[in-house]
Amino acid sequence: MKGQVVLSTTALVAGYERDLPIVCGVDFAVKAGELVVLLGPNGAGKSTLVKTIAGLVPVHSGSMSLDGRDITAVPAHEKVRHGLAFVPQTENIFATLTIEENLLLAADILPHGNRRRRIAAMYEMFPDLATRPSLRAGQLSGGQRQMLAVARALVVEPAILILDEPSAGLSPRIVLDVFARLKAINTAGVTIILVEQNVKAALAIADRAIILVEGLIRHEGLAASLADDPIVAELYLGARHSEKVAAR
Amino acid sequence: MNPQPLMDGLISGSMIGLGAIGITLTYSILRFANFAHGEFISWGAYFALAVSGALGALSATLMAPLGPFSFGWSLPLAAVGAIALTAALALLVDALLFGRLRARRGSIIILVMASFGAALTLRSLLEFIFTSQPAYFTNALQIALRLGGGLRATPDQLLSLGVGAVLVVAIHLLLTRTAIGRSMRAVSENQQLAGVVGIDVRKVIRTVWILGAGLASIAGIIAGLLVQIRPQMGLDLLLPLFAAAILGGIGSVPGAMIAGLIVGLAEALTVQLIGAEWRAAVAFVILVAILLLRPQGLFGRPQ
Repeated sequence: MKGQVVLSTTALVAGYERDLPIVCGVDFAVKAGELVVLLGPNGAGKSTLVKTIAGLVPVHSGSMSLDGRDITAVPAHEKVRHGLAFVPQTENIFATLTIEENLLLAADILPHGNRRRRIAAMYEMFPDLATRPSLRAGQLSGGQRQMLAVARALVVEPAILILDEPSAGLSPRIVLDVFARLKAINTAGVTIILVEQNVKAALAIADRAIILVEGLIRHEGLAASLADDPIVAELYLGARHSEKVAAR
Repeated sequence: MNPQPLMDGLISGSMIGLGAIGITLTYSILRFANFAHGEFISWGAYFALAVSGALGALSATLMAPLGPFSFGWSLPLAAVGAIALTAALALLVDALLFGRLRARRGSIIILVMASFGAALTLRSLLEFIFTSQPAYFTNALQIALRLGGGLRATPDQLLSLGVGAVLVVAIHLLLTRTAIGRSMRAVSENQQLAGVVGIDVRKVIRTVWILGAGLASIAGIIAGLLVQIRPQMGLDLLLPLFAAAILGGIGSVPGAMIAGLIVGLAEALTVQLIGAEWRAAVAFVILVAILLLRPQGLFGRPQ
C-alpha cells in the first residue's frame, strides 16, 4: 500500500571480511511507490549496501526487513520469493541463454498458470525483447541487456526493485531511455532503489535521495532539493556538479 | 581393413561418453575437475553386483536370462538400486568433503587435490570390501550377431549402445527443456546471479551430483556387463573420460557423448593399426592435442 514502509534497515553493518566492514551502520526506510536514489562517491559502499540487501554480502550486525518480515538471514534466492528483485551492475543476464530462457528462469518461481502471462506482460513492456525471444542474450546490445535484466527482475512482480548502476557502460542516449523506462515502471507502482553515479539523471527521476559516504548515510532528502543544494553537491557529489548548480 | 574395430570403438565409446557427461556437468557447475568421478563408475558396478546378487539369492528366476541377453531381471532392477546408491554416495562425499571446502571458499586446486584423496579412499574401500579379484554379472556366453558389412555385436553390446543413445538424448532434453535444466545452465554461467534470480544453487548442485553419479553408475554397469568388474575399472577409464569431456567442450552433453565415441573409436583403431600396447596412450594424445589446438573443445565456447 502506498506510503507504507516496504524495506528498512536498522544499524546495518556488512562487508566481505569480518574485520573490514564496508557498510558501517546504515538506517534507512523506503516507502511503497517511492523511487529512491543512493548517491555517493566511489567506494562509499552504495553497491555493497544493495548487495547486502539482496543477500550477496554477509551481514555482520543489524537487521533488514521487507514488508515487515525480517530478511536479515534469508538467502538470496529466498528473498526473490519474498518480493525483492535485484539487478546487478554487470553480468546481470545469462548471456548463453536465450531471451525467453532468461525470463523463464525468473518465472519458474511463479505458479504455473502465471508464468506465460507475466512473460507476455514483459514482452508488452519491452517490445524489443519480443521480436526475437530465441536470440541468445549475449548477442543483445548494452541497452537491450539492461532492459532484459530489468524485465527478468519484474517478471515476479516484486514489492521492490533494486538496481545497481543501470547506466554503467551505456551511451548517454540509451541512459535517457533506460531512466525514462525506470520512471514509467515506478509510476506504474513498483518501488525502486537506484544506485547511480550519473547524479543528474538519477535525481531527475527520483523522489528522494540518500547520500552515502564511507559506509554511512550523511544526508538524505527530497531529490529536487538535493539537486539544488550546493553544499551537499560540493561535499558528496563532486565539485563539478557544485559549480554547475552554482552557475544556474 | 577389418571394420570390426569400428563397432568395438562405438561400444567402448558409449561407456566413455556416459562417464564424460558426468564429468562435464560437475566441471561446468562446480568448477573443478573431479578425479573421484571414476570411482563412482566402480562403485556403481559393485553396487549393482551386490544388489543383483541379493535379488538372485531371493529368487533364482530373476537370474534367468532375458531374451537374447546374458542377464536376467535381477540386473535391470539392481541397476535402479545402484543408481540410487551411487547418487547417495556422491551426495555423501559432497557433504563430507567438497561442500565443506566450498563453504570455506577453498581454491580450485584444493578441490582437485581433495578429489584425488576421495578417489584413493573410495578405491581402497572397494578393494577392502570386495577384494581386487575380477567379478562378473553373469557367466553366460553370448554369440555375436552378424550386423552386415563385416560387423558383429552381441545383444548386450547393442543394448549398451541403445542405452547410451537414449540417455544422452534424455539428458540433453532435461538441460534444454526443463526448469531444472535451465537452472543448471544458469548456475554454470553465473552462480551469484542465479541466486539473485531465485534459483536455489544448493539444490542445483545436489541435482548435478545425482545426475553425474547416476550416469557413472550406468557406465560402470555397462563396463561390468561387457568386460568385467574390478576396483580399478574407474581409474582405468579416468583419462579417456577427461579426454572426452574436454574434447567435447566443457558443459556440452552431446559434445561429451560424441567425443566419447571419438575417443573409443581412436582407441579401437589404434589397437588394430598400431598395437594394443598403445591403446592407453591415445586418450592422452587426444587430451594434449585438444588442449593445445582448441582448448574450448569441439562444442564449447571460448572463455
